[in-house]
Amino acid sequence: MEYFRSGLKSVLGAPAPGTQPTGAETVERLVSRVSTSTLLEDRRDACRALKALSRKYRLEVGAQGMDVLRQVLELDRSDCEIIGYCLDTLCNITSKEVFEEESESNLNIKVNVGEQFTEMFIKNAENVTLVLSFLEEYDFRVRWPAVKLLTSLLASKPKEIQDVILVSPMGVSKLMDLLVESREVIRNDALLLLINLTKSNANIQKIVAFENAFDRLFDVIREEGFTDGGIVVEDCMLLMLNLLKNNTSNINFFKEGSYIQKLAPMFILPDNLEEVGWSPQKVSNMHCVLQLVRTLVSPTNPVQIVTSCQKTMRNANLLEALCNILMASGVPADILTETINTVGEVIRGNLTNQEYFAGVMAPSNPPRPAIVVLLMSMVNEKQPFTLRCAVLYCFQCFLFKNEIGQEQVVQTLLPSSTNSTLTTGQLLCGGLFSADSLSCWFSSVALSHTLIENPAQREQLLRVLLATNLGSQPVSLLHQCAVFLQQTTKLQAKIGILMLLAMWMSHCPQAVQVFLNVPGAMAFLTAQTSASEFDNNEEILQGLCAFLMGLCVAFNDNSVQNYSKENLSQLIEKRVGTETYCTKLGEISRHEVYAKAAKQPQIRAKHSSELLLEFEFCKLFKALEPVIIKALGVQRDLSNGMSELSLSEHENALLLQYKELIRDQDKKLQDVHKSLSNLQRENQDLKGQIEELRQTNSQLHDQNTLLKAQMQLSGTAVAEPGNDKVKQLEAELVEKDAELERLRKDQDDLLELLTDQDTKLNAFKNRLKELGETVEDGDSEDNSAGSDNEV
Amino acid sequence: MSYAYLFKYIIIGDTGVGKSCLLLQFTDKRFQPVHDLTIGVEFGARMITIDGKQIKLQIWDTAGQEAFRSITRSYYRGAAGALLVYDITRRETFNHLTTWLDDARQHSNSNMVIMLIGNKSDLESRREVKKEEGEAFAREHGLVFMETSAKTAANVEEAFINTAKEIYEKIQEGVFDINNEANGIKIGPQHSPTNPSLPGAGGAGGSQGSSCC
Ligand SMILES: Nc1nc2c(ncn2[C@@H]2O[C@H](COP(=O)(O)OP(=O)(O)OP(=O)(O)O)[C@@H](O)[C@H]2O)c(=O)[nH]1
Ligand SMILES: [Mg+2]
Repeated sequence: MEYFRSGLKSVLGAPAPGTQPTGAETVERLVSRVSTSTLLEDRRDACRALKALSRKYRLEVGAQGMDVLRQVLELDRSDCEIIGYCLDTLCNITSKEVFEEESESNLNIKVNVGEQFTEMFIKNAENVTLVLSFLEEYDFRVRWPAVKLLTSLLASKPKEIQDVILVSPMGVSKLMDLLVESREVIRNDALLLLINLTKSNANIQKIVAFENAFDRLFDVIREEGFTDGGIVVEDCMLLMLNLLKNNTSNINFFKEGSYIQKLAPMFILPDNLEEVGWSPQKVSNMHCVLQLVRTLVSPTNPVQIVTSCQKTMRNANLLEALCNILMASGVPADILTETINTVGEVIRGNLTNQEYFAGVMAPSNPPRPAIVVLLMSMVNEKQPFTLRCAVLYCFQCFLFKNEIGQEQVVQTLLPSSTNSTLTTGQLLCGGLFSADSLSCWFSSVALSHTLIENPAQREQLLRVLLATNLGSQPVSLLHQCAVFLQQTTKLQAKIGILMLLAMWMSHCPQAVQVFLNVPGAMAFLTAQTSASEFDNNEEILQGLCAFLMGLCVAFNDNSVQNYSKENLSQLIEKRVGTETYCTKLGEISRHEVYAKAAKQPQIRAKHSSELLLEFEFCKLFKALEPVIIKALGVQRDLSNGMSELSLSEHENALLLQYKELIRDQDKKLQDVHKSLSNLQRENQDLKGQIEELRQTNSQLHDQNTLLKAQMQLSGTAVAEPGNDKVKQLEAELVEKDAELERLRKDQDDLLELLTDQDTKLNAFKNRLKELGETVEDGDSEDNSAGSDNEV
Repeated sequence: MSYAYLFKYIIIGDTGVGKSCLLLQFTDKRFQPVHDLTIGVEFGARMITIDGKQIKLQIWDTAGQEAFRSITRSYYRGAAGALLVYDITRRETFNHLTTWLDDARQHSNSNMVIMLIGNKSDLESRREVKKEEGEAFAREHGLVFMETSAKTAANVEEAFINTAKEIYEKIQEGVFDINNEANGIKIGPQHSPTNPSLPGAGGAGGSQGSSCC
């Protein structure tokens, strides 16, 4: 008995003083009252009490009460009060949260009870449908807890709940109706519920959109005061973001439904903004609207969609409003940064928008193009790093598929332009050879974007001359780049310049020619490529040098003596070794920096030292690596002078033999491949089975824990009153023993009597026989059978 | 672009009958020869003119495969019109029509206009369902009927536009409650503020609406 008591203590924590009932007993009594009482009043009181206990004694209420609560939901659905208590109780026991009240008493239970109860509750999908149906009840006491319960269930088992709601008739539309709910708590909680419900489930996202979500949400946003509104506005936009992210169908719907026009006014800054300032909530709201715009025109969306969204954004004056933010004063730095990114994506690859952007003037004195002002920030060390990255991205977007823009930038560098004002080109050139390696990297990348897919500008840029020292001859920009490359000690600057040179020299023999004529340039590349040791990230530098060498071979018009195609490939073979060369080249695409940069056009880095490779360069590298390998290979083949035509008959026969052999081996290889993939599939299956078993096992384990807890509870529940009961039973036993004794005695007496009677009966029978009467034979058996039946 | 009305449509029917192709032909005037199985639902839109009024059609093309049935049902209630499509070269798609119709009637609002479409009329040599059979089915169930080809574009415009005309007429007759968005109808922005309950009062229609696209 004492054992059970201590077990109970450990579960419930509190010592049970004297006769006071423990929590578990109370819960048990309440549960039985709910299930047995015929009076609604009674059941209601019990449910209210259960709700009050459901945090502290969550385990007990959940383990004993789940089924009963469920029954009430079904049978007492006409009584809003009791339903409310039930839903609240279920909400508590399925909550993922650990309540303060319970943590002190249940420290020893490690399983997530809330999740376990959620799993138990939703095992029957009808339970979820039942809860959904309570959303239709207008009574606050029902509707609100129903929303909260769904939120709680969703938090523990998002995927399962999504699936159930998706297939339950009108499930989503019941939730959507809550967005027009006049009681704000319900509406706001429903909003949060929808945010969680729509996460990464395209089907639900589409249904929610179909159910007029955008209209509803814009209504709420308007009622709440647009971006000046509170957190509800932010929630509305978060939901919209969920609906649109990577969901082309919904983006199309958003555009076709003229919702972009509704976004535009949110970017118009009020005149008195400088007085009222930017509240933290306003900053958050602005961030969300900016994210919304970017989601619509994200470079990862299909081009067709992006283009038409961009067009609508221009026509709705959204682009204009964004540009005004760029030029406004007092805008917080992170909003400004995100606006720059957003402007970039709104103009990216769209000529009309790019031209509009080029025409935007900053209200400076003298007035300067916005692009120039932005680039000034990019090459300014004092500006925040993320802002500088954003400017570069925006500038890249401006040049993306924009031949005119590319030409305009290069134009500002050419000798003919006698412009005395600061130009984009001058800023970039200044940045290129700056002592700040980040400015150098930014400027190199920016300048390289004027050359993408634009052979004309590669040649034009060769005409750019720089005056180095006073009095000495001006040198070409490319020459200066190659010199700077050898002089600078900074890795980031070197890599920037190498990427610019690579873009410049690819498909441009004239640029290659200029480069090869720079003293020491080739020697530098060779030394780097053949170096066998490297520090941190220097493998990228060496790879880039190898790449540039390769470009010198591939795009060589043999115009420089000593550096013909042939000469250079021999140089690579002799000085570096073909194998080493290929390894070095391969270093680039194997590096994690490459993988990161190649992922998306936007530059994403937390720290400036992470900036090494860039998106467009990665594309160039990917396209030209095989070209270079081929260029080197072809050279080698020609020098060997081997071709099938020049083979002798004997050699030809040999060749055929080898071919046969290869074909044979090829077939075998294929077979082996096939069986390998079979085995892999089998392995996969087995792994799946193991995983399944593992899950079942862990489920069972959890259930076991729960059951143990439950058993301890019920065990003690029985043991407590059992103490008295045993005594009672013992007394009864004594009584019964006595009774049994008595009965036995009676039986003995009766048996004696029976024997007596038997003797008498036999005597009578004999007498009858003597008297000549016929008596049935075998009577003794028959008689005994008869008496058996009668007993 | 402003509109006088907006109608929501759904396209339903067995997999492979050409629902997505019909939509693509209608919105982009293109034909897609490869069966690009629809997963769940895809959205498309186009503006048309009826009775001098601009009408925006928002169309949800649903997946015909059985596995998506419970998902696609969510779209029935909010639609004003449905194109129920079968393939004239595959009789089983015609045989399934009653199931589709029952499902639609059960989950949609009662005023939803249903247009029955026998698609792939360009494949005359492989025809398995006679035009008369389609007509008879439509007559029996009170549907409008047409044979179309998403490939040659024959009757595609008509199918979408005639459905809109039906809906438009129902609005004029006052059958539809246009203030209830659950019916799949919305009044254009410049029409609603003055007198939303009188659909005819919109005046000269979309021609003088503000131009934002
Ligand atoms: N000849 C011809 N082929 C058609 C026509 N319409 C569709 N097809 C072809 O039929 C096949 C299926 O067309 P889809 O539009 O993808 O079919 P669906 O009804 O959307 O199918 P689900 O998305 O699975 O429901 C494609 O190969 C189309 O090229 C038509 O009018 N004529
Ligand atoms: Mg389809």
